[in-house]
Amino acid sequence: MNLRLIIEVALVGLRRLWHGKLELLLTFVVPVAFFTIFAMIFTGGVGSGRTAKIKTVLTDLDRTPLSQDFVQRLTDSEAIGVVEDIRDDGINALDATRDAVVRGQATVAIVVPEGWGDSLRTAEPTKLFLLADSSDQIGPKVMKALVQETLGKALAGTPRADLPAPPAAPAKQANASVEVIDLFTGGKTNPAVSMYAAGIAVMFLLFSATGAAGSLLEEEENQTLERLLASRVGMTHVLLGKWLQLGLVGVCQVVVMFTWAQLAFGLDVARRWDGFLLLTLVTAGAAAALALALAAACRTRAQLNAVSVVLVLTMSALGGSMVPRYIMSDTMQQLGRATFNAWAIDGYTKLFWRDLPTAELWPEVAVMVGSAALLLIAARVLAMRWETA
Amino acid sequence: MPLALAVADLVKAFGERRALDGVSFQAQQGQLVGLLGPNGAGKTTLIRCLIGRCRPDAGSIELFGQPLPARGGRERLGFVPQDLGIYPDLSVRENLHAFGVFHGLRGALLRERIEWALEWTGLKDRVEALPKTFSGGMKRRVNIACGVLHEPAVLLLDEPTVGVDPQSRERIFAMIDTLRQAGTTILLTTHHLEEAETRCERVLIIDHGRVIAEGTVGELIRETVGSDRQATIRLARPLAPEVLKSVALGSNTPALARATLGQALNGSGPNGSVLNGDGNNGYGPTSSTSPQSELTMSRRDSGHDPLTLRTSVRSVALELPRLLEKISNAGGEVRDVEVTAPTLQAVFLHLTGRELRE
Repeated sequence: MNLRLIIEVALVGLRRLWHGKLELLLTFVVPVAFFTIFAMIFTGGVGSGRTAKIKTVLTDLDRTPLSQDFVQRLTDSEAIGVVEDIRDDGINALDATRDAVVRGQATVAIVVPEGWGDSLRTAEPTKLFLLADSSDQIGPKVMKALVQETLGKALAGTPRADLPAPPAAPAKQANASVEVIDLFTGGKTNPAVSMYAAGIAVMFLLFSATGAAGSLLEEEENQTLERLLASRVGMTHVLLGKWLQLGLVGVCQVVVMFTWAQLAFGLDVARRWDGFLLLTLVTAGAAAALALALAAACRTRAQLNAVSVVLVLTMSALGGSMVPRYIMSDTMQQLGRATFNAWAIDGYTKLFWRDLPTAELWPEVAVMVGSAALLLIAARVLAMRWETA
Repeated sequence: MPLALAVADLVKAFGERRALDGVSFQAQQGQLVGLLGPNGAGKTTLIRCLIGRCRPDAGSIELFGQPLPARGGRERLGFVPQDLGIYPDLSVRENLHAFGVFHGLRGALLRERIEWALEWTGLKDRVEALPKTFSGGMKRRVNIACGVLHEPAVLLLDEPTVGVDPQSRERIFAMIDTLRQAGTTILLTTHHLEEAETRCERVLIIDHGRVIAEGTVGELIRETVGSDRQATIRLARPLAPEVLKSVALGSNTPALARATLGQALNGSGPNGSVLNGDGNNGYGPTSSTSPQSELTMSRRDSGHDPLTLRTSVRSVALELPRLLEKISNAGGEVRDVEVTAPTLQAVFLHLTGRELRE
């Protein structure tokens, strides 16, 4: 064995790595970037240690000093983010509360029923209701524990600084309890299935679209693009043709993914085919437009690969394709709104989990269509460099 | 012959650099015009201007008397890029179909032209095969076919035979010949100078963004290096230096050499054999004007080869026998004589120099 030859082979590889700046970036910078993203997801910020607040609607129908004290204690809890702007269009408070959870405005709702305070002195006290969205697999459980802890404190009469002393402790406080009502049961499959079908589908939609959009750069490098542009084909034809191609492949990709989800995991896609098709079309169209804009912005295929890997993984991490967004801090959840992943997952969740009407998809559809249009315009502007010099 | 392509005073600058600095030329219908030039001379920019991919700063391009706009309006123009600008993972038929559509062909006409192209390229039996599995020559044929499906009146061929074997090259030029016979004007960019010399009716040499020579190969040779032949004489043994002098040889004594050789070639007149250079290509800028001959030892590598002598001769029939006789009389034994005509390569190097461009 000639050690010198082995060393030279290794040195050649290292020198090539040094010359390939993008490869260096992928090797050393990207892992650190992803560690940072995940650290922020799970801590709420670098070093802050904050966790996500549980979006909660507090509905006090009892309106007694005890119930008000109880609700106030929950409001003061750092674990809760109280949702107050729930829909109030004439429907009663209980329906509005339920509606807020069903629509995803809140993860849970605590309902203090009328007469709850008085019932605590009876043998059969009325229960508190915890309306839960079980697609969040953490929030309702944490909330139940928190409610029981807070209830115990309230009933024990632990004084609060901003309130007068509560009434005498009820005799049957041991019987006070919480009933958890899952609003999304009833033949539905595990919510994670629709969420992850959407999350994974969009992530790979972005990967495959950016990969396929690289053909634009290949065609530019091997003069096929030059040749096309010397024929009757214009750059707008090329871009729209590629967008159509990427979009159609993307639609097929998502359809395959959800068909498998239906066959293997019982996700009822066929029942909501209209909304599914609408959402899939706009999602695939937006992903294709993003891929084309990236390709038009990059100089080489290698550059596109590096940029798209970083961007797609970042979008997927922030947008909920990798970890559910409900465990992220509010800030990270807001950041996630800048990704297609988040909008698509929200849309598919509306369809297959919340069972909302297709018309309720308008925010997701509007965002996707708007993004696709803007990105296509950006791609067209960037592609001008390939046109007449 | 009607004028197919007329380029006048074409200028294109990229920043401070003028890629085209007033290029003008014309090509008549059915002509095969060779476009030559060193790397960076401006050929690519010229081609890009012709196909509408580069907007000239000044000048005009006319196709059959009609001015071409900066973009579009090039339906009668065909372009075959140097790289394989086809889809290697589509079958031959799919490629032809796609490029036919891109060039505006539809329906029966498209099908007819695809059949013609398959016949023309000799790829009828490989119609469903993918070009990525083809040899270089076959790929080139598909590449060219995709550029001529729409029957362009003027075809721009950028190095169509790069990297192909002689058989494929012959086939490609046979294909090109059928286009010419059908009246297609072809502008052929190539670095194969012998290819341009034997195939092109006219040659255009471009350098530093300007046309520095234009004409038939014969015209270019006459106007630059002269039409004298180069004679290379190989001896069985070296001539002794004093004998060499007696037959008018001696590269370090050109005056004596010319005088003595003039005696040796008495009767060739003032327009006798032309002076030779350093034995490299045998042609120099002053050769056609020199009235006398010089015979020098050829250089082999960096040194002189005492067994090889070179000279330029204007009249092979008159001058060469006398020269050989003189050598023989001086005791020299000639082993071999090679007479070569001046080539386009000599013209090209004479006009563009020998220094590397990039």
